[in-house]
Amino acid sequence: MKKYENVRESDYEYLIPADEYLASGVHIGTQIKTREMKKFIYRVRNDGLYVLDIQKTDERIRMAAKMLSKYPPDRILAVSARQYGQKPAKMFARAIGASAVVDRFIPGTLTNPALKNYMEPDIVLVTDPAIDTQAVTEASNVGIPVIALCDTNNSISDVDLVIPTNNKGRKALALIYWLLTKQTLKEMGKDEFPYTVEDFEADL
Amino acid sequence: MEVKICSTCGANLLGTGYVMFPCPECESEIYRCFKCRKLGNSYVCEKCGFEGP
Repeated sequence: MKKYENVRESDYEYLIPADEYLASGVHIGTQIKTREMKKFIYRVRNDGLYVLDIQKTDERIRMAAKMLSKYPPDRILAVSARQYGQKPAKMFARAIGASAVVDRFIPGTLTNPALKNYMEPDIVLVTDPAIDTQAVTEASNVGIPVIALCDTNNSISDVDLVIPTNNKGRKALALIYWLLTKQTLKEMGKDEFPYTVEDFEADL
Repeated sequence: MEVKICSTCGANLLGTGYVMFPCPECESEIYRCFKCRKLGNSYVCEKCGFEGP
């Protein structure tokens, strides 16, 4: 974090124009804030909604991508039980060659070798730690690092790297996963990226 | 045998239940014990000063 500490807001170079983040609603939080997420909150709106700092979101996307690129792609697992996160998670997995578990996360997927769908990833990426609790708990039990997309109302228990973002919006999830995919591939040394944000958006 | 130490609380890490991952900023390794992960205690990278989670 120290690297960006003295960078003024106007001097910071975003991965995409800041307006695109705002148009997708990446900064929109909830009316609840947790102690752990306080440092990622920019301000509170008159209607009580907490607004996230998009500069911190951008920094964390870069960090998460850097971290993911250090693992073999087939040992990365993306999890999403949330409807609007399922297509982005699947697209992320397809683009980088990882695996994805969408919809119901069958208990024992990471802990029970007798199961048919048992897997042993090296790192897990979850869309919402409050909904993908089973995946987070199992990853914690077997000692797998967890990267999570967290909103202002999330607890960061068992999470090793937080990406502060709106994890409920269709467009916000698509944009975050698209950026994460693009940046991860860039860190892996693959410049070819044929997808658009619309490819990552879930259908209405 | 090299003893691994939790980056947050300094506890010795033995057996399973702890996690090790590369620092998101640099190449150094970060260790977190089960308790610190559960409580969401923050960790600091000794090499680059990155503060997480």
